[in-house]
Amino acid sequence: MTAAVAAVDAVPLFAPVDIGIRAVSKAALYIVIASGLSLIFGLMGVLNFAHGSLTMIGAYLGGAIMVAAVSSGTSGIARFALFFVAVAAVFAVLTAFGAGVELALIRPIYDREPLFQILLTFGLVLVLDEAARIVVTLAGLQPQTTWQDAVGTAPAFFARRYEILGVNTRWALFAFEALVGLLLVVGVFLFLNRTRYGLYIRAGSEDPEMTQALGIDIRRAFTVVFGVGAGLAGMAGVLLMWDPRFGATVPLSVETLLIAFIVVIIGGLGSFKGTVVAGMLVGLVDALMSWLFINVVDFPGLPELVLFAVLVTVLIVRPTGLFGVEEVGGH
Amino acid sequence: MVALLVAYPLVYQFLVGLSVVLPGTGIPLGQLLNVFLPRVTTMVAVLYIGLFAMSFDFVSGYTGYLSFGHAMFYGIGAYFVVLAGSGKVPGLAAETPFLLLLLVGAVLAFIVALAVGAVSFRLTGVYFAMVTLGFAEVARVFIQNWDYVGSNPRDGASVAAGREGFAVGYPGLPDFLGGLPGVIADPRQVRLGRLTGDSFENVLGLGIDLEPAFVSYYAIGVVVLVCYLAMQRVIHSPFGRVMVAIRENEERAEAVGYDTFWYKLGAFGLSGFFAAVGGGLFAGYRRSVAPSNTFDLFVTADALLASIIGGFGTLAGPLYGHLFHETTAGVLSTESHGLARFLRDELPASVLSAGVGDFTLLRFVNVFVDGRADLYLGVVFILFVLFVPRGILGTLRARLGGTVAEKLPERLDRYRR
Repeated sequence: MTAAVAAVDAVPLFAPVDIGIRAVSKAALYIVIASGLSLIFGLMGVLNFAHGSLTMIGAYLGGAIMVAAVSSGTSGIARFALFFVAVAAVFAVLTAFGAGVELALIRPIYDREPLFQILLTFGLVLVLDEAARIVVTLAGLQPQTTWQDAVGTAPAFFARRYEILGVNTRWALFAFEALVGLLLVVGVFLFLNRTRYGLYIRAGSEDPEMTQALGIDIRRAFTVVFGVGAGLAGMAGVLLMWDPRFGATVPLSVETLLIAFIVVIIGGLGSFKGTVVAGMLVGLVDALMSWLFINVVDFPGLPELVLFAVLVTVLIVRPTGLFGVEEVGGH
Repeated sequence: MVALLVAYPLVYQFLVGLSVVLPGTGIPLGQLLNVFLPRVTTMVAVLYIGLFAMSFDFVSGYTGYLSFGHAMFYGIGAYFVVLAGSGKVPGLAAETPFLLLLLVGAVLAFIVALAVGAVSFRLTGVYFAMVTLGFAEVARVFIQNWDYVGSNPRDGASVAAGREGFAVGYPGLPDFLGGLPGVIADPRQVRLGRLTGDSFENVLGLGIDLEPAFVSYYAIGVVVLVCYLAMQRVIHSPFGRVMVAIRENEERAEAVGYDTFWYKLGAFGLSGFFAAVGGGLFAGYRRSVAPSNTFDLFVTADALLASIIGGFGTLAGPLYGHLFHETTAGVLSTESHGLARFLRDELPASVLSAGVGDFTLLRFVNVFVDGRADLYLGVVFILFVLFVPRGILGTLRARLGGTVAEKLPERLDRYRR
């Protein structure tokens, strides 16, 4: 009996802890990636296909700021401060960009079928990804290889592994990611519940016509929300840059887009609470499946496959997602 | 349209061969045209991807349900042909006739489409688009990790070496055509492929030589044409009318008494069928497949681009749309005939090195022209969505007040009098 346990290398004993910490960090990342998409769809009913491209641009931009600002002598605390400066800068730039896109491109087609908004943002993906490729080439980087210089700008204790509860992993980094995710959830929650625009969003997603009839300029709310959503997408990109599991590449745009879709749709389009819950669920499933794949099943694509299977299953069982409402968005 | 497509390879050969020198530049006209005209090998891709785009338009353009995972059916057709061609499909010999493989692959895709559709059509709008994308992603992840496909499934698979090219045509037909001496070796079996295909010399004694690419072009063209006519037949049938009714107002179609679910499902299945034929032709011509050019989201994007530019809800539109796509891609390609190469070769060194500091014209060409088709196509796509929502063919039809084939002769007639 004891021999059998030893043969499995004692991993299963600590597996729940290992899976747990990874699940928490993944969940936080997924919520951050998906929150902007969730906000935009919640109010406007526009499924922003360019969300992932904005994340990718945010990743490169934020990473570049960090690399430019951090030298080998920079202390850990200064690196922390610079990280938040980079986040703020990227958020500002992409919010402005998103608002511009809404004004110039999306506003003219609100009165058409929702199909056209999907098509338009899909066109944006092609343009933004190719533009990113051009910039990356100009900067002397290979668009296909992962750019991971920004990982080196993280404070030293993020790169280190610690042994806690018998699990030897990057505890500090994972805890930091969970913390940022928590901050973001609280921030968005406050934005939705304590600010004027949050009120508009909640009212607008209930009944846009009535909201407008009450004298609220819902068009301006659309612009602001699209901007904030784009800013959040960019922010998510910056957060990924300290995690060695990720790195900036142009195809990162599709990877993060699909993750955001899975999370937002499982949670129910238009419900931020749903997005948070679904992010946690997806993070847990991903961590569990990744562990299974390494230790039990031999199929490299397993985590991804299961995530999409979960997506399809949820849509079949509950077409509106876990917390979705029947009709969402509108103009 | 058909006449144009039939004549294209010969016209192309003639034009590119022109040695008339442009006044003032010293560049032969043929060389200049070679930069802008799509090559015949490119036109082959226009045909099979055009068929795929038409099948996408068949369901999305006519019923209004955006199928974001359509690449799955294209991929099924393509992988089926390659796997069967390598003898990896149980029950099918590696030397099964190509047309039979196409048909079986298409039926397989039809069945899968029915299964996917049965689930997906419980949803509408954005949810439908997402669930189809979800299914396609499951298929993509699966195929790129399934080691039965090849030793490195992430890179795809190819037909086992030693197998001869796939042949359009069916063995065993009466050989009343094969009797023409010295014309075509065996018209019942025309092998496809740029390198493995058949070539014919001095066709019908006219002194015309057909390279393998040209022969493949015609052989694939025949299959595509048959599929196009079949889809058109469906659209102009009562079944097709119901599809349009669903697009325009589904509640009303239902109220009139049609069980729209079955119509949508039927349209989706047929669409999957023809998408798989397109994928099979692609695999038969290229003899290798990869997840990135079959099951990928960006393959669906190609169909989407073609449909929007050519005309959403016009069956022939996507073919023109994809022709535009491939032409742009050809002009901006990095291969030997693109604009970038042309400029680099023909412009004098003094012009190329001009520019602001380090950023010379040469660098500009390398960065912004060489292989950048996606950027400009994306811009064109957005402009079309914003300003020409009906696409080229749809707008043209609206202007003419009917289909081009109907109205053009009328118009011409008016000018003749």
